[in-house]
Amino acid sequence: MDIKKILSESTSTLGVSGQEECVAAYFAEQFKPYVDEVTVDSMFNVVAHKKGSGPKVMLCAHLDEIALMVNHIEDDGCVRFASVGGVDPRILPGSRVWVHGRNGKLFGTIGALPPHLMNAEDRANNYKMDKLHIDLGMSAEKVREQVRVGDLVTFNTPFTELANNQVAAKSLDDRSCIAIMLRAAERLQKMYCEADVYFVCSGQEEVGGRGAKTAAFAVEPDLAVVLDVSFALTPGCGPDVAKPLDAPIVTHGPFIQPKLNKRLIDCAKAHHVKLSQEVSGRSTGTDADDIVISRGGVPSVLISLPLKYMHTAVETISLDTLEECARLLAHFVSELDASWEDDLWI
Amino acid sequence: MDLKTLTEINAPAGHEQPIRRVLIEELRAKGFNPYIDRMGNVIVVKEGTGVAPRKRVMVSAHMDEVGLIVTGHAEGGFLKVTQAGGIDPRVLISKRVKVGDDNIPGVIGAVAIHLQSAADRARVMGYRDITVDIGANDKGEAERKAPIGTYISFDTPYVEYGDGYACGKAFDDRVGCWTILRLLEEELPCDLIAAFVSEEEVGCRGASGAAFSQEPDIGIVLEGTTCNDLGDIPEVAQVCKAGEGVAVSFMDGSSIANRDLFKKALEVGEKEGIAHQVKASVSGGNDGGVIQRAREGVPVVVLSVPCRYIHSPSTVVKLSDVEAQFELCRALLKTF
Repeated sequence: MDIKKILSESTSTLGVSGQEECVAAYFAEQFKPYVDEVTVDSMFNVVAHKKGSGPKVMLCAHLDEIALMVNHIEDDGCVRFASVGGVDPRILPGSRVWVHGRNGKLFGTIGALPPHLMNAEDRANNYKMDKLHIDLGMSAEKVREQVRVGDLVTFNTPFTELANNQVAAKSLDDRSCIAIMLRAAERLQKMYCEADVYFVCSGQEEVGGRGAKTAAFAVEPDLAVVLDVSFALTPGCGPDVAKPLDAPIVTHGPFIQPKLNKRLIDCAKAHHVKLSQEVSGRSTGTDADDIVISRGGVPSVLISLPLKYMHTAVETISLDTLEECARLLAHFVSELDASWEDDLWI
Repeated sequence: MDLKTLTEINAPAGHEQPIRRVLIEELRAKGFNPYIDRMGNVIVVKEGTGVAPRKRVMVSAHMDEVGLIVTGHAEGGFLKVTQAGGIDPRVLISKRVKVGDDNIPGVIGAVAIHLQSAADRARVMGYRDITVDIGANDKGEAERKAPIGTYISFDTPYVEYGDGYACGKAFDDRVGCWTILRLLEEELPCDLIAAFVSEEEVGCRGASGAAFSQEPDIGIVLEGTTCNDLGDIPEVAQVCKAGEGVAVSFMDGSSIANRDLFKKALEVGEKEGIAHQVKASVSGGNDGGVIQRAREGVPVVVLSVPCRYIHSPSTVVKLSDVEAQFELCRALLKTF
């Protein structure tokens, strides 16, 4: 399995919250060699089922991405937009985008009023989204032939390899965690595995855990492992909120089943996976929040991959840490058996 | 040589070596013997076909572009930077860059939106806050790979898009460099002093030396200039318009055009049917100022390609305007 290829291809595939069909089709194909059955449901959740006789475990990472959406076309041909999910307006000026029009995608660049034509107050503040525009290099008439209000706009930032096996791209939140599931699925082929495993790539996480909610209902798992990205240390993002880039993160808090979490941490210890630990005192801000309360309740744990510059087009991860997450996940799943729940509540 | 190649060369102000090398090679291949002066300007003098005494006309364009320069290293392996030339820091976040002569890939990130307070959201991240990430594991590795003084350029390939537009970096002023290369292939009555000058972006330093040493009779500055024509901008605030031809300045932040040259440029444009416009705002400075005031003074006119989002990683030009710059300059030169 070529992880770089999967990350490069998947992060450049369209899959905005609510319209994930392309990226869902991509990942459905990727899971096929490693599971017995793959389906894509009406929420564009990819459900890849590796059959087993043991406990039913749902592994979940989301496939949707944040993006922009056309909301107006000016008479000079420039395109105005709104955000889908939490797009930081500071990343927009000078960014290249794809506008997904009716005849395919159009190259565009995001422009703003030049600073020397602004007053001092405006210069001292960040650009607001409604003051920015997409330049398609066409007249309004031509733009309107191809682009409509509601069309999607995604970032056009190529996959970039940095030093020390770090890579930067858009949408590594959370497609890097789907890559972790894929790698774990590959590893599990050569491991003892009793568990009945559902690999779920969920839709609409960026707008509130909506895909995971229906997928958890449909799968009806005994337990779940959610995979998402978390903040890695960078300037301005210190140890109070972030963790080192080089180790998987486990989370403590009311949404995480403590004994299951202990099992995960013990598993990491047994297999020499270095871990960081963080605390979510309330909700986790991931699909776990919805899976935990699905049907009659689903004991869940969270494995996080540290990521720098979340929700920018240059999200950065370490491929070594990604591999460690996959190794931990595979061992954890492999070691699940009928006794998994024996001492969970006492 | 094409515009794509020229814009994709990384050469911020003060570090023109990469573009200088390419230009020298290109000029030699064309049979010229370029002269490199002590400001790092590359100069070629091509004799005219007219009878002596011929006018000596210096056509200049600057080789440098805006970029960043490493000023230090932060714990965790991040590069601290400042600007080499004027870059609004608001265009830097979430962009890719190339670091140093080895073109090491890097990215410029920011604290995630999830962790920002309302004040953080409004506040502009300045050069104190902005760091470049090359994936270094620690400060020592960052120092070794990108020592203080290392130059950084935008990593945005040249792309042609829309109806005859191109998007990329460094159109300011590789468009001018390209136009000069093309002018050198023309037979002209006057002596053409082709000057590829350095350090415009940090105060027009190269052009000053070139104008002094060359003592031209006339100076024509080929530039890229700000545009501001898109985004529901009131007509009065527009500087010039992409797609409406080469912009002729009557006055800008650094010089007042020689009235005769300005009128002549417009007349030639009209007579030859070359798309042109008058730059409708007194803004921006360029080499015209220092050339005009070299020695006992030089009549100067500035011909610019309108550039949307100038000094950003994704500047936009209309290719027909680049063509118009070449045609108008050629037509003007034929009148001397």
